[in-house]
This record gives sequence, C-alpha cells and structure tokens, in this order.
Amino acid sequence: METLGLIISVAHIAAAICLLNGLLTTFGQAKIASQAIESMARQPEAADNIRTSMFIGLAMAETSGIYGLLIAIIMLFANPLINTFVNLLT
Amino acid sequence: MGIGVKTFWTFNIFGVEVWITETIVNTWIIMLGLIALAIFARIKLRSFKEIPEGIQNFIEAAVDIFDGLAKSNLGEKLSYISPLFFSVFAFILSSALFSVFGLRAPTADFTTTFALAMLSFLMMLIMGFKHKKGKYLKSFFEPYPIFFPLNLIGELSKPISLSFRLFGNMLSGTIILTLYYALTPIFVQIGIPALLHAVFDVIFGALQTYIFVVVSLMFVKNAAD
Repeated sequence: METLGLIISVAHIAAAICLLNGLLTTFGQAKIASQAIESMARQPEAADNIRTSMFIGLAMAETSGIYGLLIAIIMLFANPLINTFVNLLT
Repeated sequence: MGIGVKTFWTFNIFGVEVWITETIVNTWIIMLGLIALAIFARIKLRSFKEIPEGIQNFIEAAVDIFDGLAKSNLGEKLSYISPLFFSVFAFILSSALFSVFGLRAPTADFTTTFALAMLSFLMMLIMGFKHKKGKYLKSFFEPYPIFFPLNLIGELSKPISLSFRLFGNMLSGTIILTLYYALTPIFVQIGIPALLHAVFDVIFGALQTYIFVVVSLMFVKNAAD
C-alpha cells in the first residue's frame, strides 16, 4: 500500500512538472505576438496577412504546451504505472 | 459534463464489443443538425435569385469566404477539394459551439480528432500520388536516401500533432468548466460561466477550427505541389 501511495504522489509531482513548460510556451507566444504587432504598426496595409500568419504561428507554438497538458492528464487520470503495480501484486 | 467519457450502453456483434458513448451520440446529434441544414439549403437553392437576400446572402457569404481561404492556401489548381474541408470546418465549429449548451463536445474525445486528422492525412497521400505520381515517393528519399527514416517520421507525426492540438484545446476547456461547475456554490453558477464558455468554447473553438483546416490545407499543398 505504501508503494502505491508513493507511485500516486510521484505521478502528481510529475504532472506538476509537465505543466511547467507553460513558462516557455508563453514566452515564445509573447515573442510572436509582439513581433506581429510591431510589423503591423510598421505596415498597416499588410495587417491581414500578418494576422493570419500570427495565428498559425501561435497555434504551432502552443502545441508543445498542449503536449505537456496531455501528459499531465495521462499521469493523473490514466496512469499506466498504477495498473502495472496492481498486476504485479496479484 | 464530466472529465471522462460516459458509456451509455454496450452490445456484442459477433463477439466484438461495441460501445455507444457520449461522443457518438453527440456526433449523431450534430450530424442530424448539419444534414438538416444542408437539405434546407438545397431546397432553398431552387429559389435563389440574381440579387441575394435573406438566407441566400448568408449561404453565399459562407461558401465564398471559405473558397477564398482555400484558394489562398491551396492555389487555383488544387482548390477543387475545398468542399471536403468545408464540411470538416462546419463539423468542428458546430461541435465546439455544441459545448456552449453544457453538453460534451465530440472533439473533446481523442477518437474523433484522430479520425479527422487521418482524413487529412489520407487526403494528403491521395493528392500527392495523384498530382506528383512517382515523384511523391521519391520526395521521401531526398536529399539523400539515408534520410528516409527521418522523412517518414516527419510525415507520420503530422496527423498526430494535428489531432493532439485540437483534442488538447477542447479537453482543457471541458476540464476547466467541469471544475468550475463542480467546485463553486450554486449562486455563482448563473452569470459567470457565460464568460468562461465564451472564451473556452467560442473563441478557442473558432480559432482551433480555423487552424486545423488551414494546417491541413498546407499539408495537402506541400504534398501535391
């Protein structure tokens, strides 16, 4: 039982660490948005094209953050290690 | 609404277990709505006039805007596949708007998004073989044949990243709203969730729909051009 508690607590800590990649994702997205706004202010006639590219770039940069979120969700709700441990006991 | 997907009933067909889940039922409801809308538009099509008014205005604007988007991303030559992606667009957008009513969006389940991403992937392969023929196979061995495993991984990661992006965004909205409904007392559940629904379902849903379609179109163009 103690081992199971250890596995669950380590899984929660791992999920928290996974979500730390939000720091870098946000940094990258902030850079994209600030550059896009700067170039929009410089060339207002190209604003539509820049906005389209900005949204695509934001989505691409967001992907790594989403991967971290998914790993955290798997750790919390569908952890494969707990099943392995329960199978080992029986 | 909940974090997990509920299973309504299960039955056996020749020893294979078939699960009818919340996602499938919600997909049927959306399909019913979209098919009814399509039949309605088809009947209205007979009485279309030269100068549009009312519902004709709306339909023409929707088709026109999407055709412009497809043409700007695919080019004139390949834009004949835009109706397929218009239907994908309509499905994802309506399923994102579906969760405004407190029901679970079908795209918050990985099976739905993976099926949609596989559709884009198959479309990519078909268009590549149709327009480039042997050259498409050869493009896996460029610049040198030793790069084949890298190119293969690069191609296979496209549907996975496409499906995970949509799934993660929709699931995060569902989880945040489920937590809000579960943890707060009843008197703050009247006005404030509307704001959360507007951000997580309408804005993120529309943005992710746009991005899914545009990125699929870009993949198809890269394969076929």
